[in-house]
Amino acid sequence: MNFNVINLRKTVLKMAFAGSTVHIACAFSLIEIMAVLYRNHLHFPEGRFDDPNRDYLILSKGHGVMAQYACFRELNWIDENAIENYFSNGSKLKGLSDAHISGIEVTSGSLGHGLSVGVGMALGAKLKGSKQRVFAIIGDGEMNEGSIWEALLFAAHFELSNLLVIVDKNNFQAMGTTDEVLKLGNLKKKLEAFDFETREIDGHDEAIIDKTILELLNSNTKKPKAIVAHTIKGKGISFMENNNCWHYTRLTSETYKQALKELDIKN
Amino acid sequence: MRNTFANYLIEAARLDEKVVLLTGDHGYALFDEFRKLCPNQYFNAGIAEQNMIGVSAGLAKTGFKPIVYGLSAFIPIRVLEQIKIDLCYENLPVILIGDGAGIVYSALGTSHQSTEDIAALRGIPNIIILSPADASEMRACFKLAQESEQTVYIRVGKADLGSVHDMPVDLKMGQIIPVKKEAKTDIVFIGTGSIVVSALEIASKYSNSSVWSVPCLKPIDKKQIVEVILNSKVIVTLEEHSIYGGLGSIISEIASEFNVKLPICTIGINDKFSTYCGNYKYLLEEHELDILSIEKKINDFFLLHNLVISFVSQ
Repeated sequence: MNFNVINLRKTVLKMAFAGSTVHIACAFSLIEIMAVLYRNHLHFPEGRFDDPNRDYLILSKGHGVMAQYACFRELNWIDENAIENYFSNGSKLKGLSDAHISGIEVTSGSLGHGLSVGVGMALGAKLKGSKQRVFAIIGDGEMNEGSIWEALLFAAHFELSNLLVIVDKNNFQAMGTTDEVLKLGNLKKKLEAFDFETREIDGHDEAIIDKTILELLNSNTKKPKAIVAHTIKGKGISFMENNNCWHYTRLTSETYKQALKELDIKN
Repeated sequence: MRNTFANYLIEAARLDEKVVLLTGDHGYALFDEFRKLCPNQYFNAGIAEQNMIGVSAGLAKTGFKPIVYGLSAFIPIRVLEQIKIDLCYENLPVILIGDGAGIVYSALGTSHQSTEDIAALRGIPNIIILSPADASEMRACFKLAQESEQTVYIRVGKADLGSVHDMPVDLKMGQIIPVKKEAKTDIVFIGTGSIVVSALEIASKYSNSSVWSVPCLKPIDKKQIVEVILNSKVIVTLEEHSIYGGLGSIISEIASEFNVKLPICTIGINDKFSTYCGNYKYLLEEHELDILSIEKKINDFFLLHNLVISFVSQ
């Protein structure tokens, strides 16, 4: 259970090939973020995903859910059968995050929902005097949604210092780059202007991710926290990186083999 | 009726610290007492309704019992998707209060009027839709909502039209309540919300008529409806809501499902937005929902269906 990012990517590929699914590149940009969170930070008392005192991981960007399933496989929260039969008739794991799946906290995919629910959970934890933290991964494309900005305002106003928002900033959304579709400008400055304690990092450097999360969690300010994580859509596979086709493209036997081979060489 | 709600809210919050009130910057003065007595259970989420519903979901997930207050033009209409995905899909115990339902905000125009909320919500699984006619029903509805442990929408219409019940109402989920009963019933008036007051006044002019109030629009006791309408000649449904997708539709669906063959006159907003500004009474007239217009519609309907109905002798 070391959440090796090569193995996580292999699990994603295996699922995506088995289910002939899309959104592979969306999952690959947040693999390192997920790995570091599950490996070093998310607290599950006795390893239970349903413990009332657990930390909450909100995958507001539900399109990256295969990265989370890959972590669940490591944790043995899902079995190999679920991976091999992804998207088969009558199977449970869906193509977007779904709170009916054990371990998933919010139903997302319709974007701009998860962060608000996470903000509510952070408020709930704070009201209870609990030490639980809320980690919310949002996409930069998702930040087109007005509700994201409503949630940011609310979090800062109610001083939800137990909330850490991580922006998976891969610079793409469904129809093109975020700059082409709806410019976000300087996200770090925007988040700071919204009164978040903000860091900007390389979202694929596990050591940096880890260090930054620790630093923010140990900060004594009343502010909610944010990390702008610069990531690469499709990270890890040469022909997927920054190639937005892999938002939608399905693996063939050839591309599947080629992708696995690339990961093996890196190993 | 609004004060009843405000008082019950305070009672609920003082009994249980998990009860929290969220408002989208609405309810000026209504919550003064609540804020004074339960300051740590009050959250003004700002003019940001989408986030407010998500926050209520998060609070419910962490063991709280949120009550979300807004105008029914916004809660539920503006946040329909949040209600569907964040609340109902997970069957979370959140109570939504939609105030000013119907055309209560007569002078403010279409943005603040809400005549499609029932229709919009009905198709969402797990939602409970309540629509009290007066303070007694409000009390009963609030109690039901608190006991239900799932997402509840309470539709609050014009609140100062008087009572339809002279005693506290004992309400079971889905039940409809008799307001006026006669031994023999030719015409059954079935109304929901504030318009039940008008239904009573209109019904008093017809012999052999009964009036039922429907505080639970979903779920609804279909068998009870069938029993009530079975031996009558005609049904008149009344609601301050579109004639599409609301009470009229619900009753028609049930009559059809149970093969009860009788004409159903559906009184409501006739698929139109308000054109004019004015007071509540004026807007009711514009939408032909004042007593005289309703009576005319009913009598035209009776003629159309060759129904011979006797009037109470004056």
